[in-house]
Amino acid sequence: MKVPSSIVPYIQVAPLALILLVFFGIPLVTVVVVSFFDYVNFQTVPAFMLYNYEEVFTSGLTITLYLTMLKYSVIVWLITLFIGFNVAYFLVFHVQSLLWKIFLFLVCTVPFWTSNIIRMISWIPVLGRNGLVNQMLISLGLIDEPLDFLLFSDFSVIVAYVHLFTLFMVVTLFNSMARIDPAILEAAVDAGASRWQVITQIVIPLTKTGIALGSIFVVTLVMGDFFVVKIMSGGQSSSAVYAMWNEISMLQYPSAAASAVILLIVVVLMVVAILRVVDVRKELSG
Amino acid sequence: MKPHKNSKHASGLNRRKVLKGAAATAGLAVGSGAVTGFPMVWAQALKDITIHHVGAPYSAIIDIANQANKDLPFKIEMQALAHDALRNRLVTQPKTVDIADTEYFFLRQLIPRGDVLQPVDLDKFKYWDQVVPIFTKGEYPDGRKVSRQGVLPYEVQYLGGADAKSFHDGPTKWASGIPMIYNADTLGIRPDLVKREIHNWSELLNPEFKGKTAILDVPEIGIMDAAMAIESRGDLKYADKGNMTREEIDKTIAILIDAKKSGQFRAFWSTFDESVNLMASGEVVIQSMWSPAVAAVRSRGIPCYYAPLKEGYRAWASSMSLMKHLDGIRLEAAYDYLNWYHSGWEGAFIARQGYYSAVPETAKKFMSEDEWGYWYEGKPAKGDIIDPYGNVMEKAGAVRDGGTFWERMGNVACWNTVMDESRYMTRKWNEFVAA
Amino acid sequence: MAQYRKRSWTFYVLATFFILFVLFLYGPMLAIYILSFQGPTGGLTFPLNGVSLHWFGALFEQQRTGDFAGSFTRSILLAFLVMICTVTFSVMAGLAFRRRFFGSTAIFYMAVASLVMPGLFLSLGIGLIFRVIDVPTNWYVSALGAQLTWTLPFGLLIMFAVLSRFNRSYEEAARDLGATNRQTLQYIVLPILFPGLIAVALFGFTLSYDEFPRTLLTVGPGNTLPLEIYAMTTTVTSPALYALGTVTTVVSFAAIILSLGSIAIIQWRRGGRFRK
Repeated sequence: MKVPSSIVPYIQVAPLALILLVFFGIPLVTVVVVSFFDYVNFQTVPAFMLYNYEEVFTSGLTITLYLTMLKYSVIVWLITLFIGFNVAYFLVFHVQSLLWKIFLFLVCTVPFWTSNIIRMISWIPVLGRNGLVNQMLISLGLIDEPLDFLLFSDFSVIVAYVHLFTLFMVVTLFNSMARIDPAILEAAVDAGASRWQVITQIVIPLTKTGIALGSIFVVTLVMGDFFVVKIMSGGQSSSAVYAMWNEISMLQYPSAAASAVILLIVVVLMVVAILRVVDVRKELSG
Repeated sequence: MKPHKNSKHASGLNRRKVLKGAAATAGLAVGSGAVTGFPMVWAQALKDITIHHVGAPYSAIIDIANQANKDLPFKIEMQALAHDALRNRLVTQPKTVDIADTEYFFLRQLIPRGDVLQPVDLDKFKYWDQVVPIFTKGEYPDGRKVSRQGVLPYEVQYLGGADAKSFHDGPTKWASGIPMIYNADTLGIRPDLVKREIHNWSELLNPEFKGKTAILDVPEIGIMDAAMAIESRGDLKYADKGNMTREEIDKTIAILIDAKKSGQFRAFWSTFDESVNLMASGEVVIQSMWSPAVAAVRSRGIPCYYAPLKEGYRAWASSMSLMKHLDGIRLEAAYDYLNWYHSGWEGAFIARQGYYSAVPETAKKFMSEDEWGYWYEGKPAKGDIIDPYGNVMEKAGAVRDGGTFWERMGNVACWNTVMDESRYMTRKWNEFVAA
Repeated sequence: MAQYRKRSWTFYVLATFFILFVLFLYGPMLAIYILSFQGPTGGLTFPLNGVSLHWFGALFEQQRTGDFAGSFTRSILLAFLVMICTVTFSVMAGLAFRRRFFGSTAIFYMAVASLVMPGLFLSLGIGLIFRVIDVPTNWYVSALGAQLTWTLPFGLLIMFAVLSRFNRSYEEAARDLGATNRQTLQYIVLPILFPGLIAVALFGFTLSYDEFPRTLLTVGPGNTLPLEIYAMTTTVTSPALYALGTVTTVVSFAAIILSLGSIAIIQWRRGGRFRK
């Protein structure tokens, strides 16, 4: 039962492509169409108008939201990359037993099986004005007044993002590093390379696929964030998606759809930029 | 034994027998508490019917469904969804819902669509003459008119006919929905940290509490609370806080942004827990709050007060509506459910959480005298006040904040709303939150 | 390998780093664990009002806490379905992408866009499709589809990391020796990819179990756990939420230790060769 090899990729990719076509493609088309519709008397009315886009582009809100989200993306990306790289490196090159590797990896995953909402609420007793951190710092005599910036601030938002998204970096980097043949590193060390050289000249170049993919995950997750910003900033700032949700919850579909289309374009462009730096597909067929 | 349990059993059992009788005796008119009566052929089919009630988490409570399933011959399934999700569900997937349990103001968006709801035939609803006049007439019992700022339920209560897509001014036999639970909201305060009496909404913006106040981050409700505070401080006078003009929205948001930038607000909360945690942890000492949240703070031994204010309350009410697709025996079952719902058990259940029933007279039958005295009449509790789950909520001697039912519901300044400029308002609110 | 990494100082530095990371992950969880032992009158924040197992009991009652049992079952089943689909379909697709074929770029960018698409709209859109074809939404079709648009791109991209510089000569050698496609897959490709598969499976499961916006309007008449929790947070909630977190963690650890432990024992009996 041999299948001609030129057809094989099509068969392999078919289920994924079909699911995405139906469950993503159709909603996408709907959103694009609705983004040109009108909204009259609390109802979405078929029309072709650019007003929804005009509103998004002329509103100061758009700039504020995107700049904030962009700022968070960059900071969170740098931190998660640093943590993810070191954690993955430890797991791949320092932990010898496969079982231990899997165990430690799972240890990192378990917190994710408790609901996001609960985990975010749990930061409040830790970072709050009378929270654990402030109490500890006061009792150590390091500060006199509780630090307000710990909670409901940029700081707490970033802490929560890092908490939630580092795993995505760890997973991709882990898998990428695991493909490096340890013999190469050994050879380099034998040839007199320093640890730093091994990392910068061998490990990083060979894991760039993982770095790129992890970055894609983190950036898209932050940009598409729904309520982390909302809860961790105590509602003091908002995300693009949350602003959209306020519109959707009042059934103002056309304006929300226009924002969604713009968000989609912006984030896809960011991904394209990452892929410009590292062509993950080239690595694949190489 | 808790007092309310006894009363529940007494009338509950009675009712159940009557219901079973009704299902068996075809078409026979039975006495009070009975169902409309089904033709013989339906009695069997009734068992297989499921009525899907989708509502907000504070009204779609599983215990109510469980009790309904004991009392009624068919099955009630309940699903709790937050308001935002609920609205979208009703509009985009109407057939997945049988009973829509939403806030009144949303009817203003739903009825004109014409494809989501069907009106309730009031001839089939037994308790209409006992529903509080706020809903049926837009008046208090003494004839005073209820505030029409925001969406007063009465304004969206009646329809002109079975297929009407607009509201009717004045009673007809067609209702957009049956009122279920409602309450009057105000500011919650921490008396131990505020250290003085609070009488006005303006205190929310008082620099004395800088960095220790919070408001609710649901645009259409948050802006009303803000407007109450702004009007109370004397900055602005609104024609209708519940239906602002663009200019009023602009001014309100500008004041809010100023306050936010000066550090007045510690947080904008959107979930019940956030409001409880903010208050209990002392992050915030004065904020807009919901009644059960105040109770939740207090149940931890932390003082919290639901302050009655001079300017009055912001009130809200939920309605129970029939979805368009219901017909035949399922429609009859839905009517039966509406009648069961208002026959008292549910009213007593939610009263113990601090909410009011649209038909207080029936709820009274399922409450002990002490409970009725505490929750509705503002009397000091003689014994401990127990919540619906058997926990002590208030110790003997406690008095409900704000007093009697009419002291609270009789002093409503405005109602939860959807504005004509809703789209503009949402955008401006988003700007405020992001500022 | 052993020589290159002989417990050098970097090992201790990185091990410390790793431990700190784990502490960071579990730190706020600790509050959850402690608070789940609240007394019956306790709330969601410190201080503890007495110590009890009350809220663990409450998990199994269908009362006040919402429909935990029902939504939890639904979520677990859904997460398993999503996991199986994600592993199968993204591994297949990952293998396909090792060559450029006509349309591969389009499919790749469709996957990227699907990852980026705001979930709420996806949810609305799918709800609308089901309305048009007049099929009621439910968790095992519409919600499954909605979640897959999110987990499949993840799975696919992780496969890219797993398969990068995967030496195709093994496969070719097997084929030259007369192995069928299936045999090659079963005996050559999958064993090599195994750790990657675990990663994809874990991701599929975790992403689904915690998914919110895509499920919100596609789930039909029964809530999944995150929806139930979200609904509950808008009304009176209880430390039962925390008890659930504690139980989840304990059960996960028990499962992990049991399964890994038994693998370890089996391998040790076979001759102690589980070191790489």
